[in-house]
Amino acid sequence: MPVQLLLGLIVVLVVFAVVRAYAPERTLLAGVVLGLGALALLAVDSRALLSLEFWVGLIGFAAILSALLVVIHPNPMVSILFLIVNLFCIALFYLILQAQFLAALQIIIYAGAIMVLFLFVVMLLNLKTEVGLHVAGGPQRWGALLLGAAFTALLFHAIRGRLDQAYVESGMFDSSFGAARGVGGLLFSKYLFAFEAASLLLIAAMIGAVVMAKRKVR
Amino acid sequence: MDPNVARVLVESAVKIALFFFVVLTAVAYMTLVERRVSAWIQDRQGPNRVGPFGLLQPLADGIKFLFKEEITPPHVYRPVYLLAPLLIFVPALVTFSVIPIGPPVELFGRTVRPQIADVDNGVLIILALSAMGVYGVALAGWSSNSKYSLMGGLRSSAQLISYELAMGLSIVGVLMAAGSLRLNDIVERQAEHGWNILWQFPGFLIFLTAAFAETNRLPFDLPEAETELVAGYHTEYSGMRFSMFYMAEYVNMITASALAATLYCGGYHVPGLRLLGLPPLASALAQVLAFCLKVGFFLFVYVWVRWTLPRFRYDQLMNLGWKVLLPAALLHVVWVSFVVLMGWS
Repeated sequence: MPVQLLLGLIVVLVVFAVVRAYAPERTLLAGVVLGLGALALLAVDSRALLSLEFWVGLIGFAAILSALLVVIHPNPMVSILFLIVNLFCIALFYLILQAQFLAALQIIIYAGAIMVLFLFVVMLLNLKTEVGLHVAGGPQRWGALLLGAAFTALLFHAIRGRLDQAYVESGMFDSSFGAARGVGGLLFSKYLFAFEAASLLLIAAMIGAVVMAKRKVR
Repeated sequence: MDPNVARVLVESAVKIALFFFVVLTAVAYMTLVERRVSAWIQDRQGPNRVGPFGLLQPLADGIKFLFKEEITPPHVYRPVYLLAPLLIFVPALVTFSVIPIGPPVELFGRTVRPQIADVDNGVLIILALSAMGVYGVALAGWSSNSKYSLMGGLRSSAQLISYELAMGLSIVGVLMAAGSLRLNDIVERQAEHGWNILWQFPGFLIFLTAAFAETNRLPFDLPEAETELVAGYHTEYSGMRFSMFYMAEYVNMITASALAATLYCGGYHVPGLRLLGLPPLASALAQVLAFCLKVGFFLFVYVWVRWTLPRFRYDQLMNLGWKVLLPAALLHVVWVSFVVLMGWS
């Protein structure tokens, strides 16, 4: 069963992380034993490797883990790397939905162009590694908890009663969804105004940045 | 297991193994070709002692690299330092998987394409993967924690980003002519209507220049300008990890050459081959051979240019990228869209 296999693999990973964090001298031993365990799990349930559920679950787990590490990791550079991993996971989700074009754009624009800019900024600012995670006390903490709980409740409400439904309902799915032709058609017909307005906004921001940079030189 | 799934898996595995072997062998021999051709251009002998004509030299080099000590300086950021060579090498190799090297052939009762993945958005996938190459260079520079490496990494990221734009725009011309993002469609259209290089020559020149910059080759090899930066972003690497950077550069060159051949020079198409009336398998082999020859020619151009032109200065590089190539590429897009709209193509 895909779900059991996935849970087994996650347990193996968590045990490994705990051993690495609290008993670093046993890392090699734990790695070998747990690696063999993971292989055994895969061998017992090799059919699950061909199922969609397994891959959706695996990618989803990787997405959540990388998103958590973006926030938790003390080194800003490593945070950026995990954000790139996260964006890749989203691109993989697009691929599972048959939207090849969107997946490629996701990687080119987000993982490629925007994250390189982030990387540049962090490299040039030369940020130091933070010591541990700082959690602000007082009203901010309680506000964060409250809003987080509210958002979780909203998510559960949204997916409640849908877990046993098919991923793609036949007849609802448009095969041209997320293909180059479909996206281009939408951009230049239905969303033409928003598209052109966004491009104008970007140009204005770019010219503004150039003007400000030049003023500093003088 | 479903027999159809098994068949696809086996076919893909065989193709991947074959491509891996061919590309890596080509990389090894490209190092020899580079040294022999540069020796020829400079009127020297070049490496000619190991085997006939120095043909076993790459093998000797490989063994030497494997036995070198891997030195990891104590001040590096280790996880990223170890990851960076892979981040350069893997995208460079994966890019090759969407390039068609020959026409579809009937083999063992089924149609086989000499291409690992025949995807609808092949061109976009190539652009996405080449964008990933920036990370390897930038992170190698940053994680080495050394001034030379950081300068090399920063320079290289700036250069790659600047020239990616011109490269993408020059490819847009090809895409508009073919009306598809699939590399096979682009090749087939050129087979019917003539090669793109004939009427998109400015685009071809822009693409070639940008490809030189993207692969960090002379005259744009500022990231590793040895006179200023020791060796740039891979200063702190040694042994097999250094050779990963070195191999990635050659894989990138081969991929860029294959792309130039596919996008502008008809890919595996040979004009007038149909008139000879060869049997299908022989004709397919001839086309694969033609593709290899085209790629070989571009690889030769790489070496040729290296020993012909001096290195650009950094401001010249940026001026060329932003003030010459980018406007030229935009003009080229306008020209091609005009031609396509009028139906002249």
